Amino acid sequence: MRARSAVAQAKPTITYWNGLTGADGKVMDDLIDRFTRDTGIRVEQQRIPWADLYAKLQVSVPAGEGPDLALIHTVSIPHFANDGILQPMDEAQLASKGFRSEDYLAFPWQGGIVQGKRYGLALDVPQHLLYINKKLMKDAGFAGADGQPKVPASRDELVAMAKKITKDDVFGLAIGTIGPGRYTWGFYNLLWQNGGNVYAPDFKRSALAEPAAVEVAEFWSSLNTTLKIAPPGNANCRDAFVAGKLGLWLAGSWNFTGLREAKLDFAVAPVPRLFKKQVAWAGPHQYVFPKPKSADPAKRDAALTHMRWVTDNVVEWTLRAGQISASKKSHSDPRIAGDPYLKAFLAQSNNWYFGQSTPKWVTAENLVRPVIESVYVGQKPPKAAMEDLARQINALPD
Amino acid sequence: MSVASGNTRRRARRTWLTAYLFLFPGLLLFVAFRVYPLLEGLRLSFTNTRLGRPTFAYVGLANYWRLLEDTRFHVSLLNTAFYSVASTLPILAIPLIMAVALNRGALRTLLRAAFFFPFTLSVVTVGLTWLWLLDPVVGPFNYYLKALGVPVRSWLADPSMAMWVIILTSVWWVTGYYLVIYLAGLQDIPRELYESAAIDGAGGWRSFWAITLPLLRPVLLFVVVTHIIGSFQLFGLVFVVTMGGPGDATRTVVQHLYETAFQNFFQFGLASAMAWVLSSVILVFSVLQFRLLRGHTEH
Repeated sequence: MRARSAVAQAKPTITYWNGLTGADGKVMDDLIDRFTRDTGIRVEQQRIPWADLYAKLQVSVPAGEGPDLALIHTVSIPHFANDGILQPMDEAQLASKGFRSEDYLAFPWQGGIVQGKRYGLALDVPQHLLYINKKLMKDAGFAGADGQPKVPASRDELVAMAKKITKDDVFGLAIGTIGPGRYTWGFYNLLWQNGGNVYAPDFKRSALAEPAAVEVAEFWSSLNTTLKIAPPGNANCRDAFVAGKLGLWLAGSWNFTGLREAKLDFAVAPVPRLFKKQVAWAGPHQYVFPKPKSADPAKRDAALTHMRWVTDNVVEWTLRAGQISASKKSHSDPRIAGDPYLKAFLAQSNNWYFGQSTPKWVTAENLVRPVIESVYVGQKPPKAAMEDLARQINALPD
Repeated sequence: MSVASGNTRRRARRTWLTAYLFLFPGLLLFVAFRVYPLLEGLRLSFTNTRLGRPTFAYVGLANYWRLLEDTRFHVSLLNTAFYSVASTLPILAIPLIMAVALNRGALRTLLRAAFFFPFTLSVVTVGLTWLWLLDPVVGPFNYYLKALGVPVRSWLADPSMAMWVIILTSVWWVTGYYLVIYLAGLQDIPRELYESAAIDGAGGWRSFWAITLPLLRPVLLFVVVTHIIGSFQLFGLVFVVTMGGPGDATRTVVQHLYETAFQNFFQFGLASAMAWVLSSVILVFSVLQFRLLRGHTEH
């Protein structure tokens, strides 16, 4: 008995910071409790809103007060790697815990690598999807004989469908959650579909003033100003969808479990192709090791054990938090493979894209938000706004 | 030198020492948590410090020059100044009118508590509540306007309206706080003055202008100065309700500063320069207000 308690006491306690402040945080709490019961390793989890988490990492890690493990977005890795906040992962150590590239979807696996070094290991892939209100679609005549709603196959078809659904205070299409106009990730779907991006391939200047980006900005503006098929700025699109006032809603996979629990009659489809190619925004969460004050192999091993355990038990995470795992093993689980919604999530895995790997990405994104909002509400003409945005991004410090 | 004057000096020195001993803990905290950060901020404003980076260089006035060229900083300053000026009159007048009305009423305590209640709410609660109330699709405000035949609109997505909505929300939020301060000021005005005025034939309106308002001047000064200082620091409400939008229509200096320091490359040097510019503006406004109102506050 004494020997057993001595072993239990010898297990390290690790600190783990993440931004899972929604319902997904509760799921992670439960998984951590189970992990501790199974392994004896205690995890002190801090759930902090994403923006605050990133500021806290930037302050705490150089002071030697960072956590043993953190979960961050893929696009944030280049900045933190560049500023020396993250420690590269040891590939041999990862392999010893059974993390192998062939077990992972290629896109999130590659996302953890910056300039040839691995800094992150993907847990899951939050992504954008098209949520469809079945009743509104049926009322507008867009349901098949089987009762399933029709999925728009082109921009023209989407606009035509949205126009038919829009009536009084019911809207055909919305992109984003709160404040549809300021939804940068929603805008990125369209930008990338049209072959545009935030930076030119050489990263020396912004590509947001180029014709591909301006064309998308013009469409973005028309949704609310001329076509009037999308809700005005500052509308809560999630509430509108739940209230049955929104037909087609392009939004994140994190909304999925809440909608299902609300017993709404809805369908899910991959993000439709509205421009030249089919691309869907995705933002894989990556496990990272913030640089410790001094190396502690026991804690590092405990952190890796935790990552391994969650990866092995990720089915529950997918089912309850609504996020598809980056590792492929769970995808064949009948509870996931047989779920009609989750099938749509996986169906677009070849279309996922998270953006360009540059330390400036997140800062540039902060500049994009207010500009595309001003375009959406008709405050600024699209071309002038995008030129101004490109100028702002070009002026960012190195 | 006489023995008596030596004793007096010693006593004075002891009194002086005792006073400073009592003041010492407070002064120590003041220096550690106010003066030092202030001066450290000033030093940072002359550097290119980026949080988390081990090295930095002194760049002279470069950060201040950058602010001269930063159009978003200018827009933020203008928005903040507009909010400060446009919200001052309602913040001064509405609680005052309510305080005068409540000063003698039977339900004073109950109504005072009811009006004070919004001030007990956190900024996030206030912001999210108003966001829902004003939602253009599912919000009750537009629902009732529509029922009255008024066209539905998204107040917060209209660049010309958004700041006015922020002002309205702020007034709703802080009215109760200033109401309580005004009520305390009204209680301090001797009743005999009103009785004498009544005997002299003065009506309620005349008494208000000749007695209430002049004797409330110290309270008015307090309200104006604290409100102006607070309004230059406006951040939370705007961040929750509009995130500074639409576009930059409600972006304030503190939001710009926060994003510079904590979101856009953690540029602490540049953000410190912004903080010092903001502090200087607040200082100038506060001195002006004291100068304008100081001479009239004695009675």
